[in-house]
Amino acid sequence: MKKAHIWPALCLALMPFLPAQANEALLRHNCGACHADPANPEAPLSRISEQRKSPEGWEMTLHRMQTIHGVQLSDPDGKSDSAGVLFQLLKHLSDTHGLAPAETVGLRYTLERRHNTVDIPEDAEYAVMCTRCHSNARVALQRRTEPEWRNLIHFHLAQFPTTEYQIGGRDREWFPIAIERTLPMLAAAFPLQTAEWEAWQKAAKPALAGRWRVTGRMAGKGDFNGVMTATAGNADSYSVALVGEFSGGEPLEMEGDSVVYTGFEWRGNLRADAAGDKEQYLQVLEASADGSALTGRMFPFDHPERGIDLQARRDDGTPRLLAVSPAYLKRGTTATLTVSGSALSGAPLLGAGLTVNRIVSRDADRVVLEVTAAADAPTGARTIGVGKASLPAALTVFSTVERVEVSPAYTVGRVGGKEGSQPEVQGRFEAIAWTNGPDGTPGTADDLRIGPVKAQWSVAPWNEKAAKDRDIEFAGSIDKDSGIFAPAAAGPNPARKQSTNNAGNLKVIATVGEGESAVRGEGQLLVTVQRWINPPLW
Amino acid sequence: MKHLKPLNAKAELMDAANNPEARADVVAMQSVVGCASTTDPGWEVDAFGGVAGLCQPMEADLYGCADPCWWPAQVPDLMNSYPDWDQNAPSADKDWRNLDAVFPKSRS
Repeated sequence: MKKAHIWPALCLALMPFLPAQANEALLRHNCGACHADPANPEAPLSRISEQRKSPEGWEMTLHRMQTIHGVQLSDPDGKSDSAGVLFQLLKHLSDTHGLAPAETVGLRYTLERRHNTVDIPEDAEYAVMCTRCHSNARVALQRRTEPEWRNLIHFHLAQFPTTEYQIGGRDREWFPIAIERTLPMLAAAFPLQTAEWEAWQKAAKPALAGRWRVTGRMAGKGDFNGVMTATAGNADSYSVALVGEFSGGEPLEMEGDSVVYTGFEWRGNLRADAAGDKEQYLQVLEASADGSALTGRMFPFDHPERGIDLQARRDDGTPRLLAVSPAYLKRGTTATLTVSGSALSGAPLLGAGLTVNRIVSRDADRVVLEVTAAADAPTGARTIGVGKASLPAALTVFSTVERVEVSPAYTVGRVGGKEGSQPEVQGRFEAIAWTNGPDGTPGTADDLRIGPVKAQWSVAPWNEKAAKDRDIEFAGSIDKDSGIFAPAAAGPNPARKQSTNNAGNLKVIATVGEGESAVRGEGQLLVTVQRWINPPLW
Repeated sequence: MKHLKPLNAKAELMDAANNPEARADVVAMQSVVGCASTTDPGWEVDAFGGVAGLCQPMEADLYGCADPCWWPAQVPDLMNSYPDWDQNAPSADKDWRNLDAVFPKSRS
């Protein structure tokens, strides 16, 4: 069953432009019956006034109010349906009780659904108290008063009593630790009032309409290069068109809308209808304070693992060089390089040892060059230029691939598919090539990162147990060229011992080069079972 | 434990779990975003960093997990939050295809 999201384009189209005062009235109409606190002018809406969160955090709160407490959202004026009201409340709460950009630094991985992320908090006790169920970012992307953090602890114990009697709970005095140690820590680390939020509330928020040059990368498809056009609509919304292609030649053409929350949290809803792709894609991008850059990720709602890392730079007519693809060149070889940027003009400047044989094509956005690296070209990352534009460390010249890292080195895929409600979660891998540097020793500071390279992919049992259980026969298969692992179907499998699931513990192997010069890298993929709770923030 | 040798697979796992270095690796592996690091017995990952120690198959004990809210971040709990989650799937083994996600709500 396809799921829709609470930021549908329809809401944007129907959403009337409401001033903040009207949105506050809508908030009181829908939430005030339980949360109004006229005795406390500092926090007129109890609990709500005492928290700040990301848009996704507020979305989860609003969802929980509907699911668990049966809230029926309504518009007293009858102009919006419940979905429209929910969207308006989400926008208003994010704008008035959101997070400052500085408060999301290092924590955007969960907003961007980077579910490969391994986050291990330094504080072991905090790891047991909070991150045994949640990502660190889910906690740290909230700001609350101390009483509010206390309420959250009590809520957990009442709603999810296993908190106290699972491993990590029953083996310690969970509640005293939570109240006496975790609560003061959270209240001090993530208080409601911060200098960052105070400053961001006063700051001018950037307008984001315009032409954007977009570069990026998607595992399995390669480098992305395109143009995004944003046209301003009502209430921080934009109409968006994204046109581009991957380095393998696959085109991408999408249209949709976006909303900017809290002045910098760009959330786009795009579809590639023209290509017959019915999937809905979400853009989670962070706007820079000056409005010159958007950075983040784009992915299908149902498949966050199929994401494109995106960097967009406003095309304001200034010559800029943004990326070179591929971003490496082997000594003594000839390759076609695509230099991407904006307002590009003038001669390509590649540095010593590289010769431009010919300019294959060029316009203001990209210059395609056929380049030969001399056998003695200086190795290392170098600055590349076109006319007045240049980019440091844009291209790495190397001699030999000496080491390959599989990225991600460890990840989790999930069984799923057509039979059940939950789609499968693929593993998507890249082979990152390195040289060992002048000292010839891997893992030292002089190692040279070459970048993601083509590889041949295979899987093997991770250990004896996985071999004995024949995991590689059941868990799924990897595409030998793309590095995409497709997990097997969900459900008990009678062909397996105890009819167990198609889970597996696999070694993912990337082989770069052939014969005696081939270099191998290994990663680990756990193919595990599905989950049925899939909120925006894990 | 140095005078005892494991005689079967389960004992080998217990022996491995006593190795502090192996435990450190396991902790690191279980900290992937979205995976429970509670390993009694574990939802995505078992105490040994694999999947062989999980319920086999998961559906055999799914309601034993959902009823007492054992995996509140992965499996909808029937105790408090989603009491009707299993209404179309009286037997998890046979009816697991009818179990739906609880977030976001379907709007189509």
